[in-house]
Amino acid sequence: MRRYPRWPIHLALILTSFVMLVPFYWVFKTSISGENIFNYPPSIIPRNPNLFYYVDVWYAIPFARYFLNSVIVTVLTIAANIVLNAMAGYALTRDSYLGLALPQFSTIICIFVFKASFDAIPASLIDAAKVDGLSEWRIIWTIMMPLAKSAMATNVILSFIWSWNNFLWPLIMTRSPEMQTLPLGLSRFLSYQEDTTGALYAFCIMVLAPGILLFLLAQKEFIQGLTSGATKG
Amino acid sequence: MADEDDFERPRWKVWLLNRFVLTPVILLVIALGWDLYASMNNDGLIVGRVVDAQGNPVADADVSLWIFNFTTFNENKHVTSGPDGVFTITGNPSHNVQVTAQKPGLGASPRVPIRLYFRSQNVTLKEPLVLPGA
Repeated sequence: MRRYPRWPIHLALILTSFVMLVPFYWVFKTSISGENIFNYPPSIIPRNPNLFYYVDVWYAIPFARYFLNSVIVTVLTIAANIVLNAMAGYALTRDSYLGLALPQFSTIICIFVFKASFDAIPASLIDAAKVDGLSEWRIIWTIMMPLAKSAMATNVILSFIWSWNNFLWPLIMTRSPEMQTLPLGLSRFLSYQEDTTGALYAFCIMVLAPGILLFLLAQKEFIQGLTSGATKG
Repeated sequence: MADEDDFERPRWKVWLLNRFVLTPVILLVIALGWDLYASMNNDGLIVGRVVDAQGNPVADADVSLWIFNFTTFNENKHVTSGPDGVFTITGNPSHNVQVTAQKPGLGASPRVPIRLYFRSQNVTLKEPLVLPGA
């Protein structure tokens, strides 16, 4: 079999990664330098880098309160997503009305991530559990879920991102400022500050950081969860 | 997430010694350490020195503190420099301030911006406030 050199693939991947990462670098650079995006000539290396724009954000709005609100909402969303998506994913491996109804209670993408993961589990394992007298509920939580950790990680990350970045629903639902989440805090912050360049980018980094950290922690399981069942013959 | 060889490890190690627990714990320890440091250094002290154009200490100069308020800096406190030119401002409530000094006959120094990492952080100015002279 003829082997092709691998360096063109690596070169293409490096270039693609570079293009994808430039906006992140630019946001980070502006958050520590405050340089306006319209500065000419633009500087690649930040001039006089400092962390004071992060301090400005921390005190301009009740950041800790908004962060806590976002964490509580996101944890609740993830927990509910895991339970409902796992149930719906399992129900879809059977033919049932429940399987048709449950997807409307949660997110369809995550349900199919669970379904793909559950499909990869041998049916004989479930049959054996049934012979042993386990209920469907216990089959999900004691047999299927421990074998579907990558699907769980994918679900956690996706529901985290959707909940963490959700703007419209909290905007409609919240009346009191104490209940606002970070995306609402960002819009409130924009209405407070006159010169927002550095502080605005610092705020973006502070909002993005938990999601990036979570992805970096669980990226192995996340990729496994998304590709689970993709190569099934 | 647990790996295959996790079955051989004690259960508490599997649950506690993994990156999903250790990373938040490390972040929490850093945050608590920072809070502790901040609580021990937040008396609002700003210490500095006033000198003339030749670098000699200026006594009885009027040093004023300006505090950032949304879009502008507002004058907040006044202190007077001592015989050695040293001044101490107490009770600075902000993280973004400016200080300036003036004395009749010697003029006024430019406003020196001071950015702090937390509100009321104690700070000693590295550079003195320089009065330009008559």
